[in-house]
Amino acid sequence: MAINNYMNNSSIFKLDHVNYTFDGLNILRDISFTIQLNDFSVLLGPSGSGKSTLLRMLNYLNSPTSGSIFFNDTLITDYDITLLRQKVGMVFQSPTMINGTVRENLTMAQKWTKEGNGLADDELIEILEHVDLNSEFLYKDARSLSGGEQQRIALARTLLNKPEVLLLDEPTANLDPQLAIKILKLVFQLYQDLKLTVIMVSHDHQTIKQFAKRVAYLIDGKIIEEGNTDIIANPQTTAAQEFIARGIE
Amino acid sequence: MTQSFYAITWTDVFVSLIFVAISVGLIRWWKIGLEKTLLIGTFRTFIQLTAMGYILTYFFQQHHWSFMVGLVSLMIVIASYEGCHRLKKYKIPNLFWILLGSFFITVFIVLGLILKFILSVQPWYYPYAMIPISGMIIGNALTSTTLTVNRFVSEITHRENEIEMLLSLGAPVKSAVHDSFKESIRTALLPNINGLMMVGLVQLPGIMTGQILAGIDPLIAIRYQIMIMYMWISTATMVDILVLNLVYRQFFTPQMQLKRELLRKM
Repeated sequence: MAINNYMNNSSIFKLDHVNYTFDGLNILRDISFTIQLNDFSVLLGPSGSGKSTLLRMLNYLNSPTSGSIFFNDTLITDYDITLLRQKVGMVFQSPTMINGTVRENLTMAQKWTKEGNGLADDELIEILEHVDLNSEFLYKDARSLSGGEQQRIALARTLLNKPEVLLLDEPTANLDPQLAIKILKLVFQLYQDLKLTVIMVSHDHQTIKQFAKRVAYLIDGKIIEEGNTDIIANPQTTAAQEFIARGIE
Repeated sequence: MTQSFYAITWTDVFVSLIFVAISVGLIRWWKIGLEKTLLIGTFRTFIQLTAMGYILTYFFQQHHWSFMVGLVSLMIVIASYEGCHRLKKYKIPNLFWILLGSFFITVFIVLGLILKFILSVQPWYYPYAMIPISGMIIGNALTSTTLTVNRFVSEITHRENEIEMLLSLGAPVKSAVHDSFKESIRTALLPNINGLMMVGLVQLPGIMTGQILAGIDPLIAIRYQIMIMYMWISTATMVDILVLNLVYRQFFTPQMQLKRELLRKM
C-alpha cells in the first residue's frame, strides 16, 4: 500500500490523520495514507486491531471521529453517499443471504435503482460466470448454498454495481484453506479482468502474499509499516515481526 | 335505551367480593402464595374505579369544548409517557415526541371522523361520546405502538448484517429496513385482524357485553361494536406506520449509517 503523505494523480483513496474513537477506546489512531488506483492492497493485523473499522470507513459505514477521507480527490462527505457506495463495493466476512433465490439475492441490492427491476437473466448469468458459477444457480435457494458459493454470490451482488474499488473484509475467514485459495484466485482474476482497485483485510499473511501488491500492517489502531510484499517475509518493525511470528506458530 | 337495565348497587358490589374470597381460599389451600398481592389488587381496583367514576361524572358535566380538548390532550401526553416507559430499555432518541405527535395525528383523524361523520354528535365535543372513544383510540394506539416498536428493534438487531450489507451496496435507509418495517407492522396488526375474523364467534366483546347489560338493544350494541372494531384496525395501522416511520430514522445517521452503538446499548 502506497502510504504517502502527498496526493498524486493515480491515488484513489487518501486518508488524512484519521482517528476513530468508540466508547472511549481509540480504535484508529492518526491514520494517513493513500491507496493507488488499480493496486491490490492488503491490510494485515491481528483481530481487534481496527482493520475492519478502517475498511468500513472507506464504504462510509462509519465516519472518522476526526481527520478526512478523500475518494478520487473529493472529500467523501461531499459525495452522494449512494454513488460512493456503489463505486466502492464491500464484501463482508460472512455473506448475508436473504430468504429467497439467488436471483432475488442478486437483485435485492438493485431494487431502488432505475434499472434494478429490469435486470435480465442474461446479465445476471454473466455476473454469475464472473464468479465461477453458472446459470443453474439463478433459481436456487440462496441459503441452501455452501459458504463458498454464498461468498461468490455476495461478490457477484457487489459487482452488479460496477464498482471501481472492491473492499474485502476477510472474505475467506470462514472457509477451509482450499476453498479460501479458490476464492482469492477468483478475486485476483476479477481484479485483473475488471481493472479494479482491491483493498483487503486479512490476518492470514501466508495466503495473501501471492496476490497482494501492497501490504500494510495495522496494529493497535496504527499503521506501523507498509511496503510491497517483501515486508511479509521481512517485517522491519518489532510489532510486525511479533505478529508474523505468532502466525507461524 | 330501554329501561330494562338493572342498576347495580354498592351492596351488590360488596357481595361480589365473594369472588375474591373464592380465589383467596383456593390460593391458600394450594399454598400458591399470592394472597397479599391479590388483596392489594382487589383494594386498588375498588379505589381506582370508584375514583374514575366520580371523575367521569365530573367530566360529563363539563360542557365546554376547551375542557374536552384539554382532557384528550392530557390523555395523549400520559399515553406518550407510558409508551416511553414501556420502551425505555431501547433508549430511542426523541421517542416521547414521536409518540406524542403520532398519537395526536391519529386521534385527530379517527376521533374527528367518528364524531363528525359517523355518530354526528351535537355538539361535536359531547362528553359521553368524546371521552370513551378517545380513551379507546389512545389505549389501542399505545398497545399497538409498543408491540410494533418492540418487534422493530428486535428485527433490526437480528438483521444488523443484512441492513449493513444493503447500505454498503448503496441502498437508501428506507429500503435497507423495509423487511424489518414490514414484519413489525404485521406483528402489531395481526391480532387486530384476527380479532375481526373471530369477533362474536367465541365470546362477546366487552364493550358490547357492557352495553347489553346496561339495557341497550343488542342490534344497537353490535353496530357500536362493528364501528369500534373498524376504528381499532384503522387506529393501529395509522399509528404504527406513523411511529415506525419516525422511529427507524433514529437508528441511522444522516450519512445513512446504522447507529450500531444504539443497538449495543440494549
